[in-house]
Amino acid sequence: MAEPREKLFEMPITSDEDVIMARQKVRAIAQQLGFSMLDQTRVVTAVSELGRNIVVHAGKGDMNVFRAEEGERSGISIIFSDNGPGITDVDQALTDGYSSVGSMGLGLKGASRLVDRFDIDSNPGAGTTITITKWL
Amino acid sequence: MADEINFQEISTVLRNNQQEILQLWITRIVGESRQLVEMAGEENLKRQASGLLDRFIHALANGTDVEGTAFEQVRTSLLSLSDDWAMKEITPTDIVLFIFSMKDSYLSTLQGQYRDPAQLNEIIFAVNRMMDRLGLITLNSFMKRRESIIKEQQRALMELSVPIVKVWDRILMIPLIGILDSSRTQLVMETLLTAIEETQSKVAILDISGIPIVDTLVAKHLLRTVAATKLMGAVCIITGIRSKISQTMIQLGIDLSSVTTRTTMADGLKVAFQLTGIKPFEVPVQ
Repeated sequence: MAEPREKLFEMPITSDEDVIMARQKVRAIAQQLGFSMLDQTRVVTAVSELGRNIVVHAGKGDMNVFRAEEGERSGISIIFSDNGPGITDVDQALTDGYSSVGSMGLGLKGASRLVDRFDIDSNPGAGTTITITKWL
Repeated sequence: MADEINFQEISTVLRNNQQEILQLWITRIVGESRQLVEMAGEENLKRQASGLLDRFIHALANGTDVEGTAFEQVRTSLLSLSDDWAMKEITPTDIVLFIFSMKDSYLSTLQGQYRDPAQLNEIIFAVNRMMDRLGLITLNSFMKRRESIIKEQQRALMELSVPIVKVWDRILMIPLIGILDSSRTQLVMETLLTAIEETQSKVAILDISGIPIVDTLVAKHLLRTVAATKLMGAVCIITGIRSKISQTMIQLGIDLSSVTTRTTMADGLKVAFQLTGIKPFEVPVQ
């Protein structure tokens, strides 16, 4: 896994308004790091999906943004963590069209396609931590 | 414990030194918070302080319960003060400073009058406690006013954000701007469906070029709006999907293939003309 180096931003996520704020912050950071408009949109969309997952499934959690570095390349790493119910079947949650709450069921898998690395760590009752990384 | 505190006497003492107390109070306010003076205006502030002190001294002669009838006038002026200040974007810190700096201004007067330390302590303690309560009342009403201002602004924004444009006979256009959350989408849908019904429109063009991010929630809302429009026998066209949004949508797995989409409003309008059979450019000029 990519080693996050420098923490750039952190915030709690407890509401839809927080998700919007998180999107705006991440967009500004991605822009500063030099991501293209397309990649900014991809990362921010992933943030929107994963941030909302926290609000819908866990109620509250945190987002931490890091500058990612690995050898020659650098990028952005964002960690979403919560102490919610966790995911019983990670493979099923990552299946397009599966939803436990009546949404489109695309968020998790879709978000994973928008970024270069997608690491998910979740156990029932033990919360969920998702790390996404996008390289410049 | 000494005798019961004679608030009527305190009131008289304060009344006899009212000008001096007011002067001290205003000096303190001006010294402590330049910002407050700038925002509220020095003359205003002096007038408000003077009125408040006057009412406070008056109330003190008639009762000690700051929530009671004796203090009604004091509360009224505090409430109008907080209303006024909430509109002027004065901070809660300034409000608290304003009220609490009055405590220091009557201190020396009371010290001069009551020589017995125990009695003085008791009196200061009692009067200060009233001031604390009054401060809280003011702060409470200030916060409530602030909240209501924010709610008003939110409502104003909500209404602003769903303009329905009748671009042609039986063709409506809705430019969506900003963040499409659940409550706004609900509003868009309601407004759109009502407008379709009222204008007997056949085509609605939903332009999303002003939406920064189309995630699965926004997509779900869009698809629902399209479906609801269909139920009313009208067609909904989505325009303004920019290239970076479309690429992101594909990766996200959002399928809008069941929806008529166009890149620009102009193309959307052409489709609308075809659907309604309107030939706008062949209308003879009279």
